[in-house]
Amino acid sequence: MDLKNQILHNVVLDDNELWLAMKAGDEKAFSTLFKRYYSYLIRYGNSFSPFSEKTQDCVQDVFTDIWVYRNSLSDTVVVKAYLLSCVRKRIVRSKERDKVFNKSKSVDAIAFLFDFSVEQQLISDELTEGKVKHLNKVLNFLPARQKEALFLRYHHGLSVDEVAGVLNVNYQSASNLLHRAILYIRKEWKGSFVLLIMLLTNWI
Amino acid sequence: MKERNQYIEIEDFLADESFRLWMKSGNDHDGWEEWTLEHPSRAKLVEEARLWLLAMKVSESNVSPDEVDAALQKTWMKIEKVEQERKMEQKIIQLWNTSWFKKVAAVLVIGLLSFYTYNNYFVEKGNSYYEQIIANTDDDGLLEQINNSNKPQIITLSDGSSVLLQPKSKLSYPKIFRGNERNVYLSGEAFFEISKNPKKPFFVHANEIVTKVVGTSFRIKAYAEQSDVEVLVRTGKVEVNSKKMNQKEMVLLPNQALRFERKNQTFDKITDITKDKSINNSVQSIEQLSFEFTDIPVAQIFKTIEQAYSVEIDFPKKELKNCHLTTSLSDQPLPEKLKIICKSISENSSYTMNGNQITILSKGCN
Repeated sequence: MDLKNQILHNVVLDDNELWLAMKAGDEKAFSTLFKRYYSYLIRYGNSFSPFSEKTQDCVQDVFTDIWVYRNSLSDTVVVKAYLLSCVRKRIVRSKERDKVFNKSKSVDAIAFLFDFSVEQQLISDELTEGKVKHLNKVLNFLPARQKEALFLRYHHGLSVDEVAGVLNVNYQSASNLLHRAILYIRKEWKGSFVLLIMLLTNWI
Repeated sequence: MKERNQYIEIEDFLADESFRLWMKSGNDHDGWEEWTLEHPSRAKLVEEARLWLLAMKVSESNVSPDEVDAALQKTWMKIEKVEQERKMEQKIIQLWNTSWFKKVAAVLVIGLLSFYTYNNYFVEKGNSYYEQIIANTDDDGLLEQINNSNKPQIITLSDGSSVLLQPKSKLSYPKIFRGNERNVYLSGEAFFEISKNPKKPFFVHANEIVTKVVGTSFRIKAYAEQSDVEVLVRTGKVEVNSKKMNQKEMVLLPNQALRFERKNQTFDKITDITKDKSINNSVQSIEQLSFEFTDIPVAQIFKTIEQAYSVEIDFPKKELKNCHLTTSLSDQPLPEKLKIICKSISENSSYTMNGNQITILSKGCN
């Protein structure tokens, strides 16, 4: 456990070190970054598209560009947020290209199709399970963009600023997205929760 | 970041990495448990935050370390490719920046441009028309026959129409005609005998013109390198259209012909074909031969067909020695002609056709 924690704390520092080393042409640093983030990025990319092959291509292309154009990249980036943002942009672009070729008329941006699941292993009692399951349902009912903001903020631990960067909106919009999501969940969940309790107590 | 003592919202807890770690892995590095117990109101918030985290699980993506390694390998290959391309580009840019190269390139570009302009606007050859049309057509699976011999070749289409393709000409046609149209593409010269089907008009695309027919026989001469396109009708009626839409369609009746001048993109109708030199010079044997037979020996009819279509007909000479036929075959494609002849000989006569080799099976006439 302690080891894991140490790793966690080292990540932030390491990321920046690796980034600088990579920029200086260190292939090993590049490989380490790749291995560290590849599966995260695949998981994120797959949330937009059911074609995992395309996602793999996109993520690999992102890394390809990073290496090829490493000299023109900024020294101070939050690596995780930067990678997530690059992958997202690439997927948007490839979707747009597909649209041109398929002559599809839809102009929607890409949609976050991902669903949160329930942490079953950490739940021991039925009451908690009921609450969590309900909360999970409400969460997954959120609009795609709000869900994505939550995912980036609370799963990947990005700051609101970084979330805004990935979603390509300004700080205020990102903050609103998150705020509205939380408010909505609170309202939905609390409302029905009180109802549930009342029903339960009556029944008992 | 806020001090955790000031946490009042769920969001505060959710955003705290150390808190998330405690909740998910039980790793209480920062003494969360103690901190929670310090204050009863905190416990409530913490419990709610816990529920939130439990409901927000993100299942791990199942990328195995092997797969990650393979992906890394692939990425390095991509990088190599891109870097090579960039090197090439840089070389070209360097080359471009040397002074003599710009001059040479400029001369080349001007030369090519003038050549292109000359070709397009002064010569009007357009010898790639055929290729263009073929490339643009939706019909996959087009068959192409090119006649490189010095004799005409017979092509039988899936609808029973026959095309006599002249030397140095080519025809593209679908194996089977689908849809409501029959489209074929010609470069060079050919004589068409089209089986009648009003529901499925037949279109011949040749250079800039399209000829529409329902059922008839006619000749088209549209060599890529020649300046005119000619259409001559023997039987029936055809409509000719230019692909450049500024021309009205032209209707041609038997023994009428039309010349399309590619230079001016205009139609020139020739009403008296006997007086037109160009048309008369290229009259093929098939057009001169009469297919009106009155009490003529079968052997002689076959000979006429052999001559007209450049085919070889093998037939039981002994059995058909005394057979004479009276029939009119002018307006029929080759397969139809053969069918009619066989039927006229006897009920159980038939023919097979393999390229330009035709075999008649018969045990004598009625």
